[in-house]
Amino acid sequence: MSIGPSPTRRQLLRWGLVGAAAAALPGALTGCATQTAAAVRSGDVTLDLWTHDDGYITFFTDSVPVVQSGSRFRYELDVTKIGSADLVTKVLAQAVAGTGTPDVAGFEIGNFARLLRGNITEELLVDLSDVRDRLGDDLIQARVAPFSKDGRLYALDSDAPLVVQYYREDLFREDGLSLETPETWAEFLDAAEAVSSRKGTRYGAVGVGSDLGQVLQGFQIPLMQAGGNLFDAEGRLTIETPEAERALAFLVDGIQRGVFTTVTDMYGGSIQAALKSGELAAVSMPSWYASYGIQPNVPEQAGRWRIRPLPRMTEGGSRTSVGGGTGFAALRAKPNSEAAAELVEKVYLSPAQQVARYKALGYLPTLRSVYDDPELLALGNDYFGGQPLFEVYAEIVDEIPPYYQSPDMSILQTVLSGALLDAYRGRRTPAEALSTAADAFRGQTRSER
Amino acid sequence: MTAVTTTVPAGPPAVPADAAPAARTRRRSPSSGGNAPYLFIAPFYVLYVLFMIVPVLAAVYLSLTEWVGLGTPTFVGARNYADLLRDTSFRTALGNSAVYVLVSVLIVVPCALLVAQALNARGLRARDLFRVTFFVPMVLSPIVIALVYGLLLDRSYGVVNTVLRALFGIGSVDWLGDPTLAKVAISFVLLWRWVGYLSIFFLAALQAVPRELYEAAALDGAGALRRFTTVTLPAIQPVSAFVVVTSFISAAQLFDEPYLLTRGGPGESTLSVAMFIYRAAFERQQLGYAAAAGVVLFLVVFVVSQVLNRVLAIGRAQ
Repeated sequence: MSIGPSPTRRQLLRWGLVGAAAAALPGALTGCATQTAAAVRSGDVTLDLWTHDDGYITFFTDSVPVVQSGSRFRYELDVTKIGSADLVTKVLAQAVAGTGTPDVAGFEIGNFARLLRGNITEELLVDLSDVRDRLGDDLIQARVAPFSKDGRLYALDSDAPLVVQYYREDLFREDGLSLETPETWAEFLDAAEAVSSRKGTRYGAVGVGSDLGQVLQGFQIPLMQAGGNLFDAEGRLTIETPEAERALAFLVDGIQRGVFTTVTDMYGGSIQAALKSGELAAVSMPSWYASYGIQPNVPEQAGRWRIRPLPRMTEGGSRTSVGGGTGFAALRAKPNSEAAAELVEKVYLSPAQQVARYKALGYLPTLRSVYDDPELLALGNDYFGGQPLFEVYAEIVDEIPPYYQSPDMSILQTVLSGALLDAYRGRRTPAEALSTAADAFRGQTRSER
Repeated sequence: MTAVTTTVPAGPPAVPADAAPAARTRRRSPSSGGNAPYLFIAPFYVLYVLFMIVPVLAAVYLSLTEWVGLGTPTFVGARNYADLLRDTSFRTALGNSAVYVLVSVLIVVPCALLVAQALNARGLRARDLFRVTFFVPMVLSPIVIALVYGLLLDRSYGVVNTVLRALFGIGSVDWLGDPTLAKVAISFVLLWRWVGYLSIFFLAALQAVPRELYEAAALDGAGALRRFTTVTLPAIQPVSAFVVVTSFISAAQLFDEPYLLTRGGPGESTLSVAMFIYRAAFERQQLGYAAAAGVVLFLVVFVVSQVLNRVLAIGRAQ
C-alpha cells in the first residue's frame, strides 16, 4: 500500500492553527455567566449599577442611606453610565465573557425588547414576580406588562409615563383657545386650525427624523390612546386594526391641516427652534418630557406652560397614553443577586421612595395609592406657573393603557417608521401604510430568528 | 556534533572532505536555522490568528447557527443564508451599498483626481493651504460631521433650506427625509469627506510623473486634454487602480455616514449592508443571521476586489 507524501512543516502549521481555532470556537461562543462564588446574604455589599441616565445615578445614590435602614445589607454603589442601547449590548457581552456583568441595570423600555428574544431574560435577570404578587393591584399593571415575559416580571418600571398635553397658556389665551381640554380631538383640531391658518402656530409635533424610536413613538401615543397597541399581550402584531388606522388618520389629518408640525428631533435643535420661536404652542408627550424636552429647551418660558389631559379620540378611548420608561433589574446567578433585587425593590416600590422619586426626577409613581398622596396633590410646579400637576395625573391615571412588547419590536420600528413617513407626506393612505408595514414585518419575521 | 560522528560505528557513506564546508554553510542558511525565524515572525502570526483568523472562523460558524447572544448557539445549517436570499431588507441594503460603491468609484475618485491635478498645477499659490483644506474632512470625527450636516440639512430649521428660502423661495426640501434626497445627501457627504484624502494619493503619483514626458508630448503638439489622457493617466495607472479598489472596499463596507445621518432611513432607503449587519446583531439579537450577512459581504467584496485586481493589473509589471 502506498502512502502519500509526508505533510510539509507549513501544512502542519496551517492544520494546527485551523484545528486549534475550531476547537476554541464552541467554548468561546457558549461561555455564559455561571458564577460560582458564594452568595452574599448580609453585611457589606458593593453593587455595580449600570444606567443611561444621570437622574437615576443621583436618585439611587441618594436613596442608599434611606433604604438600608432595616436592611440586612450595607450598600455601596459602583455606578457606570452607558448609552441605553450600548448598555444591553455590554451586559450581553459581559455575560458571554462570564464576568463583569452589573448587579443592577436600568434597561430603557425599547432596548429591553432585545432581552425578550430567546432565553435571555430567564438566563440573565432575577425573577421579580413575587414582588408583583405581593403588591397586587396597587402596582399599576399597565407598567408591568412591558417588562414581563411568560407571566414573569423581570424589571421594575421607573415611571408611569402618562401622556398629557403641554400647552402655552399665554398663547392659548391670546388666540382665544379654550384652556379646558375639549371633549374630542376633532373639536380641538377645528379650533386650532382656525388659528394656525391665520398665524402659523402649531399645536402638536411629530418626529420624522432619523431616530426611528421617536418616529414610532409619535404614532404609538395616539394609537394607545385610541385603545390600540402595536402588539397584543401574546406578542402578535396588531397594526392592521381600526384603532391603528384611526390613530394614523388623526396624525395625517393634523399634519395636513397645519395644526401639527413635523420635526426631525423631539429633543434637540428642531424642537428647540419651534418652541423658542413660539411657533409651537402645544405638544402631546409623556410626563417626563417636561424635564427632557420643554424645560431644557426653553427655560426662559417658565410660567407660561401648563398641562392638561388629552382630548379623547372621536370614537372613544382614554384621555391619556404612555410613552417610554426604564425597567430596573437585578442580574441573577451572581453573589450579589439577592442584595441587588432587594435594593431595586426598596428604592422603587415604597410609597415614600415613589414620592421622593417624583420630587427628584419628575417620574410618576407606579403604585396607584401614591396618586392620592396629599403632599403630591398639593405640590405646585414653578415652571408650570405653580400648577399642581398631580391633580391632572391623578385624574387620568386610571385610564392608563397597557403597553405590550415583542422581541420583534426593532423590526417593526424599522418597517413602520418608513410607512408612517409615507403616510404623513401623503404618499400612502393610512390603511395602505399600515398594511405595507405589516407585510414587511411578516416578511422579515417569517422565520423564528 | 563531534560526539555523534565518533559514536556511530558503521554509518552512512563517508562524507567527502570538501563537503564539510558546504554542510556548515547549510547549517547557517535560513532554511535550516532552527526555530529562530519562526520565533521572529511568531508575534505577527499569533496576533493575526487571534484577531483575524479566529474571528473569521467564528463568524462562519456563527452564520450556521441561530444565536441571540447568550446561551448555546443552535445549529441551523444554511437556513440563515436561505433567509437572506428572501429578505427584502437585505436586498435593499445590497442595492444601497451598490449605489454608494458607484458614487465612490465613479464620482469621488474622478473628483479626487481632478483636485489633485489642480493642486499639482504649476504656479499655484497657497498650495499647502488648499491641501490642508481638502484633507480636513478626513480627520474630522464622523460624529461631528453628522451633527454639522444634521444642522445644515434639517428640513424645517436647517441652514441650507434657510438659504434656499431666502434666495429662491424653495425652503422645504427634505434632504434627510426623502428617500432619494437622503441618498443624495449621504453621497455628497461621502464626496466631501473622501475627496481630499484620495487626492493625496493622486498628488503623490502626479508628482512622480517625469516632466520630460509632458515636454515631449507638448513638442508633438498635444494639448492639455491630450497630455492628460495620454501621459498623465497611463503614468498614474497603478495608483489609480489602488485608489479604485480601496474606494470600492470602503464604500461596500460603508457604515458611519448613513448610520449617523439617517440611521438608514427614511424607512430603509439609505440602509447599507454594514448597517444591516449591525442592526441584526445589536438591535435584534440575531447574531447568526448577522454573521451570515457578514460572510456574504466578505465574499462579495473579496471576489469583486480580486476581479478588479486582475482587470486593473495591480501589482503586475507593465
